[in-house]
Amino acid sequence: MFCAGAPASPATLFDAMGGEPVLRTAVDRFAEIVVADDRINFTFAEADMGKFKELLFEQLCNISGGPCRYTGRDMRTAHAKLGINTAEFNALAEDLYIALGKAGVPYRLQNKLVARLAPMKRDIVKPPGAPGASFPAEPKTESQPPTP
Amino acid sequence: MLMPGRRNHPIRRTFFIIWVAALVGVRAASASAPFENPAIPDEGKLPLTAGFTDIDGAGGAGLVPWAIITGYGTEDSYGANAHYTLVSLSDFRLRSYGVAVGALDRVEASVTQDQFSATGTALSGLTVEQRIYGLKVRLTGDAVYDQDSWAPQTAVGVEYKRNSGISDVPGVVDPRQLGAVADSGSDFYLSATKVYLAQSLLLDVTLRYTNANELGLVGFGGDLRRDRSVRFESSVAYLLSRTVAVGAEYRDKPHNLSVDDERGAWDAFVAWTASRHVSVVAAFVSLGSILSPVTHDTSDQNGAYLSLQVGF
Repeated sequence: MFCAGAPASPATLFDAMGGEPVLRTAVDRFAEIVVADDRINFTFAEADMGKFKELLFEQLCNISGGPCRYTGRDMRTAHAKLGINTAEFNALAEDLYIALGKAGVPYRLQNKLVARLAPMKRDIVKPPGAPGASFPAEPKTESQPPTP
Repeated sequence: MLMPGRRNHPIRRTFFIIWVAALVGVRAASASAPFENPAIPDEGKLPLTAGFTDIDGAGGAGLVPWAIITGYGTEDSYGANAHYTLVSLSDFRLRSYGVAVGALDRVEASVTQDQFSATGTALSGLTVEQRIYGLKVRLTGDAVYDQDSWAPQTAVGVEYKRNSGISDVPGVVDPRQLGAVADSGSDFYLSATKVYLAQSLLLDVTLRYTNANELGLVGFGGDLRRDRSVRFESSVAYLLSRTVAVGAEYRDKPHNLSVDDERGAWDAFVAWTASRHVSVVAAFVSLGSILSPVTHDTSDQNGAYLSLQVGF
């Protein structure tokens, strides 16, 4: 990390946040927080958390202007069967804020990052009246053992 | 002196308490049930994005309503809250309490009771009671998610205000004796609110079509202007953290009465969401001079604004 404390302003949000080490830390904290969050941990019941963390890092790095390519599925495909609602989307956003804070990203930069992620709600949250609107998706009935 | 409009006041107060207690009870009883049950509030909004309670009981900040629907319910759920607001000015004091419900992130309904009293000047002892019924409907947009668009969330609202009369001033029982045309009236407003997240800013612009004198506390319409006119209001807030915002507001008010050199009001506020259940707004507020030709006090009525909101 070369830019921390330097008077010149970083070229990208990725750099301003502290680059790869800070984002990796944020993603690690985020993974810990979401699996402990009863509002949303059902969506990670069958997830490979190692792969999830790598893909999330790629995505956050890419969207913040860092030197990464996102190799995962598009948001619509990835969430199609989960039946995510707005409350769950917001819970995820709240957990991301907390994780970024724990990684040392200042609040105004957290907002800049979330501003780039927020429009994804349209692809992640089920459209009104879609399957899953009033019934929980299949994984919701399973309990998630705590992950270390 | 017991005014006709105040005769069942203790009953109304009891009704409010029962209503709030029932809401809290439902919430507590349902806490252990599965959250997919649509009867259970989802409390799904992010802190700060549910707004606060404005001086008229609508979801907003201090003086100005926002296009945001009150409460923590998302479009799949509902939310509700009760508020108590105290505005302490140099010569006057306003106490306000009420409840508000937001449903499906689309409709908001509120009831607020105001008690306005003079604590100084020639009017010392004067007390005015007012009830405000509010309804707000979200029209377009989303203040929080549509960060790839400049377009705000918009809502229209109506506030029906009924002044229950003036008491404790000899010879004055009704705002119409001060020149007001009516003791009840309706405000109509259009609000546009947007969180510009990349800038950590919330902006609101509201246009209000009103003939209320001093928010309705001195009646509606007057000898200078009888009918409603369009007035500009605005809130600007800077988001300091996930739970704290600081901001300022301006609310223009019509000058309808020759006995009141009415001016616009403004405030500078700090809003804190302690949790999804408790919010506080503290502000320095200036309502301009109030009834200065009567009180012979032309100074601005400045003071503290403190509002507590509890709910879900």
